[in-house]
Amino acid sequence: MSGKKQFGSLGSRILKWILIIFFAVYTLFPLLWLFVTSLKTNKEYIASPFSWPAIPQLVNYVHAWNQANLGHMIINSIIVAFSATILNVFIATMASYALSRFRFRGREIIYALFASGIMVPLNAMMVPYFMTFQKLHLLDSLLALIILYTAVNLPVSTVIIRGFMDSFPGEVEEAAYVDGCGFFGRFFKIFLPLIRTGIVTAATFCFLTCWNEFVYANLLTSSPETKTIQIGIRYFTNQFSTDYVSMYAAIVIAMVPSIVIYMVFQEKIIAGLTAGAVKG
Amino acid sequence: MKLNKEARIGICIFLLPAVFLFAVFFIYPVFYVIVRSFTEWNGITAPVFNGIENYKKILSDPVFIHSLRNNVIWAVCAVVVQVGLALLMAMILSKQPRGWKFFRTVYFLPQVISGVALAAMWGAVYNSDYGLLNGILKAIGLGKYATNWLGNPKTAFPCVLIYGLFYIGYYMTIIMAGIANVPEDYYEAARIDGASELQIDFYITIPMIKSSIQTCVLLAAVFGLRTFENIYLLTNGGPANKTSVIVLYLYNKMRNNKYGIANASSVVLIMLGVVVIVAIRTIFAHIKTDEEN
Repeated sequence: MSGKKQFGSLGSRILKWILIIFFAVYTLFPLLWLFVTSLKTNKEYIASPFSWPAIPQLVNYVHAWNQANLGHMIINSIIVAFSATILNVFIATMASYALSRFRFRGREIIYALFASGIMVPLNAMMVPYFMTFQKLHLLDSLLALIILYTAVNLPVSTVIIRGFMDSFPGEVEEAAYVDGCGFFGRFFKIFLPLIRTGIVTAATFCFLTCWNEFVYANLLTSSPETKTIQIGIRYFTNQFSTDYVSMYAAIVIAMVPSIVIYMVFQEKIIAGLTAGAVKG
Repeated sequence: MKLNKEARIGICIFLLPAVFLFAVFFIYPVFYVIVRSFTEWNGITAPVFNGIENYKKILSDPVFIHSLRNNVIWAVCAVVVQVGLALLMAMILSKQPRGWKFFRTVYFLPQVISGVALAAMWGAVYNSDYGLLNGILKAIGLGKYATNWLGNPKTAFPCVLIYGLFYIGYYMTIIMAGIANVPEDYYEAARIDGASELQIDFYITIPMIKSSIQTCVLLAAVFGLRTFENIYLLTNGGPANKTSVIVLYLYNKMRNNKYGIANASSVVLIMLGVVVIVAIRTIFAHIKTDEEN
């Protein structure tokens, strides 16, 4: 909307700003409270949930890091999230290229099936997923998580990347035909560079989902060696429930990578959501 | 264009990995739970066919019925409250008031933070002894209302449900994208005709973004039905199963090696999802907008 913006009467302007600020405070205040609390001593925290720390207790972060072995878990999460994202985006890009740039029988059905995968309640698939990985002897391994995350994020990635793929006119191919490029040549030389933005968008989504995933990490892994950071936070909150401040420090540590990725790729995330969801 | 041999082979090769993974992790599991829901199975010995026994069992189990009820409440609240507020805020922020990009960024933030971290944070907010909520109540002289929010059967379910309802950034962003796509001419024509801002909102913007709203309603309903993580983490269904949901029910049955019952719960959840999706699509198809008339 351009031009002069009319916001109506004073009353509605005040109401509008009350709403805008309410949602901002609702989102940020608990996060800031958690962060400030994570810098207090347990004594200070128990005395008052609102006070500022006399001295910021960075030692809480050291405790959290060492007690819960967070370093090891973060490495696990990085391995799983990076591997699954790369595999997922690779497979989704190939599928999107075939589904977007060629007309063949069954194309729309395959795409509609893929897209409908977004609506499948994955949480209801605990038994079959568990049994599948048991049969493959992959329970309690990072590989199980990598395979599962690669697969379950395919619908979203394919919808996002195909959306970008579709946005190029047919002339792109015509020009390439003249240059003598075949199926594979056009993919590698022309489309991969063209849809970089789409790939980064899908990858950002996929990475965040993998990094944050809890339900199946909880179901499919059990030993300390295979714990991801989300499982770590879960056990930390159970185990050290009296050491509140270290627990809060651990939660902050788990949040930081997501927030950093969000800050860096914000435009991509919003674009991906738009591309993926509006077509719904 | 006609596909040459190279293209035909290429298409097969490029589709194969995705189709394979989709078949194994989406299609096969759906058939698996349907078939296995008609068997009794402890996970060790061979499954035994037992007809609709599992369905009879879950439908006469008060815990399952209560879980189902919680899921329905969850879905309805998500659609009405969360999407409703998201729509309202999308209309407001789409008029680009000062700092709108900042606010959009803030509202979307919880979407990128893990459910575990958010649940742990809200666990700290609701904590009965040193929590933020009781702290605020005491500070403003309402200390008598302080309670063990997640342990009190009256407050536990509302507490696990409500905190996410005010995280509107996801749906708001989808709706804002819809609003941005409304052609500017419509607004100009309406302004020339002397329509007020409120009239423009109701008679132009909302009908024009029907499909974005439909997407949000669908997602909110479907996510409401499959909710699990925050309940598992915050209350694990307690106190006295008051906060249980279907996925938690099936998870517990699975942990107790009652796989047939777990699978029947999965089927109920899938079917419920299909019914809800079809119902929402039908309802929205009947809402005619000016554009379609």
